[in-house]
Amino acid sequence: MDGKNANPTILNASDLPTRRQAQRKKVTSPLTSGLVPAYARDPFVGNKDTDFSNSDESEDDSVREPIDEQEIYDLIATISDPEHPLTLGELAVVNLQHIKVTDDRSAIISNVLVELTPTINHCSLATVIGLGVRVRLEQALPPRFRLDVRIREGTHATGEQVNKQLNDKERVASALENETLMGVVGKMLETCK
Amino acid sequence: MLSPRLYILNVAKDPTEASRISRESAKQIQDKELKLLDLVQSLGDYLTDDDKTTRAKAIGYLSSVLGYLDPKTLSRQQVAVIAQFLCDRLEDETGLKETSQGLFALQKSSRFGKEEAILVSSAICKVDLQKHPQGTRFAVLSLIDGLMANQRDALRAIGGKFVTGFAELVGGEKDPRNLMIVFSVVNVILVEFDIVPHIEILFDVVYCYFPITFKPPPDDPYGITAQDLKLRLRECIASTKYFAGHVFPQLIEKLDSTSLSVKKDVLQTIAACALSYGPQTISTHSTQLWDAVKFEVLNSTEEDELATEALSVIRAIAETLSFGLKFSTPTVSPLARYLSGIVKECLKLLQEPQQKQAKSAGKILSKSATASTVAHTFIVEKTMPALLLIHGDADGLAKQRALMEILNLLFQSTLQIFGTWGDLTAEQVLPNPFTEYTDKLFEMYSQALMGSLREELSLRITALKGLVLLCRTRRLFQENEIGMVVQYLDQVLLEVKEKEEIKELALQGLKDISKIKPNLIMDITFPAFMAQLPDSEKEADPSKPYTATLEALAKLSLGRSVFQVLLTRLLNKLDTVLRGKSGPMYPQAILSTLLYVLQKKPESSQEDIKTYFTRLVVPLLTKTIIPVVDNSSEFQDFRILTDDSILDVTGRLFNIIIRSLGFEEQINVSRQLINIFVLGIPSDYIPITHAGIVARDFKPLQQAANKDQARCTILFTYALAGLRREVALTTLSLPGLIQQNVELATQTAHPAQRMAHVYLVALLANKWMTKPGDSDLLQKITVNLLESVSSSILGSPEYDNLVGQKLQIVLWITKAIVVRGDKYGMEVAEEVVKLLGDKNYGQTASKGFAVLLGNDEFIAKNNYAILRPLTKQKIFTFCVPKIVEGFRVADTTTKPNYLVALSNILRNTPPAVILPELGRLLPLLLQSLDLPDPNVKSATIETLLITVTESADAMKEHISSLSARLLNTCTNREENPPRIRSAALRCLRTFPGAIRTELLLPYRGQVIRSLATVLDDPKRSVRKEAVDCRAKWYSLDEPEY
Repeated sequence: MDGKNANPTILNASDLPTRRQAQRKKVTSPLTSGLVPAYARDPFVGNKDTDFSNSDESEDDSVREPIDEQEIYDLIATISDPEHPLTLGELAVVNLQHIKVTDDRSAIISNVLVELTPTINHCSLATVIGLGVRVRLEQALPPRFRLDVRIREGTHATGEQVNKQLNDKERVASALENETLMGVVGKMLETCK
Repeated sequence: MLSPRLYILNVAKDPTEASRISRESAKQIQDKELKLLDLVQSLGDYLTDDDKTTRAKAIGYLSSVLGYLDPKTLSRQQVAVIAQFLCDRLEDETGLKETSQGLFALQKSSRFGKEEAILVSSAICKVDLQKHPQGTRFAVLSLIDGLMANQRDALRAIGGKFVTGFAELVGGEKDPRNLMIVFSVVNVILVEFDIVPHIEILFDVVYCYFPITFKPPPDDPYGITAQDLKLRLRECIASTKYFAGHVFPQLIEKLDSTSLSVKKDVLQTIAACALSYGPQTISTHSTQLWDAVKFEVLNSTEEDELATEALSVIRAIAETLSFGLKFSTPTVSPLARYLSGIVKECLKLLQEPQQKQAKSAGKILSKSATASTVAHTFIVEKTMPALLLIHGDADGLAKQRALMEILNLLFQSTLQIFGTWGDLTAEQVLPNPFTEYTDKLFEMYSQALMGSLREELSLRITALKGLVLLCRTRRLFQENEIGMVVQYLDQVLLEVKEKEEIKELALQGLKDISKIKPNLIMDITFPAFMAQLPDSEKEADPSKPYTATLEALAKLSLGRSVFQVLLTRLLNKLDTVLRGKSGPMYPQAILSTLLYVLQKKPESSQEDIKTYFTRLVVPLLTKTIIPVVDNSSEFQDFRILTDDSILDVTGRLFNIIIRSLGFEEQINVSRQLINIFVLGIPSDYIPITHAGIVARDFKPLQQAANKDQARCTILFTYALAGLRREVALTTLSLPGLIQQNVELATQTAHPAQRMAHVYLVALLANKWMTKPGDSDLLQKITVNLLESVSSSILGSPEYDNLVGQKLQIVLWITKAIVVRGDKYGMEVAEEVVKLLGDKNYGQTASKGFAVLLGNDEFIAKNNYAILRPLTKQKIFTFCVPKIVEGFRVADTTTKPNYLVALSNILRNTPPAVILPELGRLLPLLLQSLDLPDPNVKSATIETLLITVTESADAMKEHISSLSARLLNTCTNREENPPRIRSAALRCLRTFPGAIRTELLLPYRGQVIRSLATVLDDPKRSVRKEAVDCRAKWYSLDEPEY
């Protein structure tokens, strides 16, 4: 078992921090749903109220919702691990408290720092996982963000080396040219929700 | 004798004629006009013919005749002679097929005996079968199959010689149809013959086909699938325990295969063998098998097919080893040896219950525990002490939870073995081994559910699930323990701060328990929930919202007896609330609760629903009406019942109950209601104290009626909606009533009241204005109304609200008659299309199409409305071309009307109708994406979404313009609210996958670039859609498999 962990500890998916749940749970009581009174459904009455009945804050564009740690976490926690059919969130490779975001629209550059915790400290796939996270964020974040994806200090035997690879533009670019590698990364990103 | 000659001449070119000839010969033999032996002799010359085919055809003639003979025709001696004759012919291999067919026919003869069977089978086994084509082999194998069916004893008597002969005969067979026969013959041999000396040979015959990798050809005439072959082969392999020594090592070796389907086949075959070889044989292989298959489970993931198969193997072994063990598992028994090994290994893995393999270990234990009652007892007794210890030593809640998940798996096995309360199956004789641990488990699970922080959601959910499982298990928990669990679930459900996820489970738990112990729900849950309901809105505690309590009550009350209790209690509560001078919200919520339950009742309980007429409809009617005519009655505080929102719910209750009444009952109800609402005649429904006053003063349909009275029309309309159209409204003058309501509808500014009048008109028009002449009457009313529209268009440049109202009523009347196929309806529809071009009334006309095509809850099938099929299609084909044309010539101010009309039509028409027309509509749809109205845009995007997924071909030419517009929609925040931006992104996301990649690739770069700005949208939900959409387009160039 060199560089692989066949029996890692797994977090329960429903215990992971996420904003998705909260959004999905905007349910109206079944007692009242389907009980829109007949008169309120008159097609002739301006239907702003009916079609946009639950217009709330999320419909108001003047309230900007900043990109925050949770949003980054939701983007990358559902990436699959290349060797287990489990997500990086479930394996605690990605942790909410190890993400730092400064979303400052007045500055030219905003920053995202993601620190990864490999399941074992000689994990041979740490670089690939890091690359997957990087690719996902590059595709999902506006270009004004500068990405820093690294291995959390003290969690990997060759962390320094991996970090160098992950944040070296040229090396990343050449990795992205490598078809086999991109195949693996593509598979990892398939489970992204 | 001509027949042989004729047959031989015809058989190749005209088989029907040939078989007619042989059928005739057979008849002649049966009628004794021809002797069989003469017929055989007449073949003589042909049988020595130099041409091989002629010889074969001659035998074919004989075989064909034999096939047509009645099985009783031939004498013992004739059978013997023919059998000998045909067996001799076997040496001439050219006619092997025909000879076999003849023998096949012969062996069906009732006088075909043991000697003939021995003769034939010995002869046939000498044939060198594999050099013949598959059709010939099929004939030979069918013969053997026939002998096996009819002469099995004879074959068995031959013994070893037949077994080896047959093995040699079929060796190398590859044709699937022939193999199906081979396998079934071998299966009989394996089960019924003395095979011990021939195990090796038979094993080789069978096992060489494993695993089956056959793929049926596309035009396979026999329809034999790989699965058919697999199953038959598996039956052979599993049919004799003597194979065990050969089969298991081989199968285990094949587990290393990289093919999923092979591995699955291997595991299923092992399971079949494990179930059939018997305990003695399996006991010598159990350890070896466990060692081989356990990895399939331990290294598996959720929902792994192979893991499921491997678990079945593990269980099958335990099941077979349990054979004969009724009460206990002696430590020296093979079952104990087998299970001990499993338990030991699993417990080792369970020391760290959070690790990946722990869950697999739990599954192994729980699956093995379903093998038999003794296996269950053994596993529970051997694992529980250790598992409790691990739980006790766990240093964190997550670890405790993981272990409890494992325990829950074991509870499931227990439920499976011991059943649930009230099950009809016989109870187990053995005591449940968990009984010893119930106190401990109850305490541990209660503590986890009720004693942990509310935020420990997954721990509490695990505990909740476990408790419900334990409650359901027959004779495990005491009644008071189940009662406690019910209380916990009540608390979870009533607590506002609890998350929806756990509340749903609590509710489900209560529903489960209500099936086995309904008394506990009535005695504990109901009083607890009712106590939560405040007596007035003012007393309502915002931390305990009554809506949530009512919702839970409603969901628990779908059963009849429970609903009876709910009904009584809620009606009492409603009285209390009303007497406390309530606002409309709380009473409306109470009535909605009752409505919810009635709506959820299945069709089958219609009978049930109508019993509520006297308990609900009559009292609600009284309590609503009396206060509006007498403000000094005992119901004076009930006037709030005439609030719009309450009247609507009361009306729906009337509707749902009235429509479940029988025909006769409806006649009576209709009379009474007409007396009350229209005629002013005293009714039995109103208490005697007020019947007179109501008759005199309650005039909701009069011009002069006060507002509260007028609003009560809502109840009348809902009630009328529920009546069958066959219920004649004889006491009413329909034209007068319609005219009256048309006027009332145009005069009132009150939306709820106006809709009540409008629907009243529509209902009467649809269900009761169906006699000849009625249509003219409706036409007259409609024409009148339309005239005021056209005179307004000519006479005034301004929009006149009254005229607008009249146009609306026209559309409702049109709706009512067009759905029942009235031709005049279409004429009006055409007028309405013309009106789209009017700057004042075009907008109303455009919305009218939502009325014409929309699904309406009043004019609906369950309300006995007259609905002709395909109405929507008709309106679509009739109006859409006119709209497309009108749009083309319209000026810019009225163009939007056409698009709105179109979007209303599209939204309400089945995609199958729209799709063929799409080519013509797409340009319009694209233009409506440029309109500022978000509703039109939203409807258009919805339509496009369906189009892309269902008819991508129609989109091909428009990818460029459509993607550009969608990108513009999601990037332009000024014009498009977040909802529309999200919809546009969702639509754009469906392109990859629905449309061929090479058509999309040219736009890939553009889409990905443009979406980069949407990734910075101020709204999180839009960003999320953008990310998903972009990911789809990014993955476009990846090779598709």
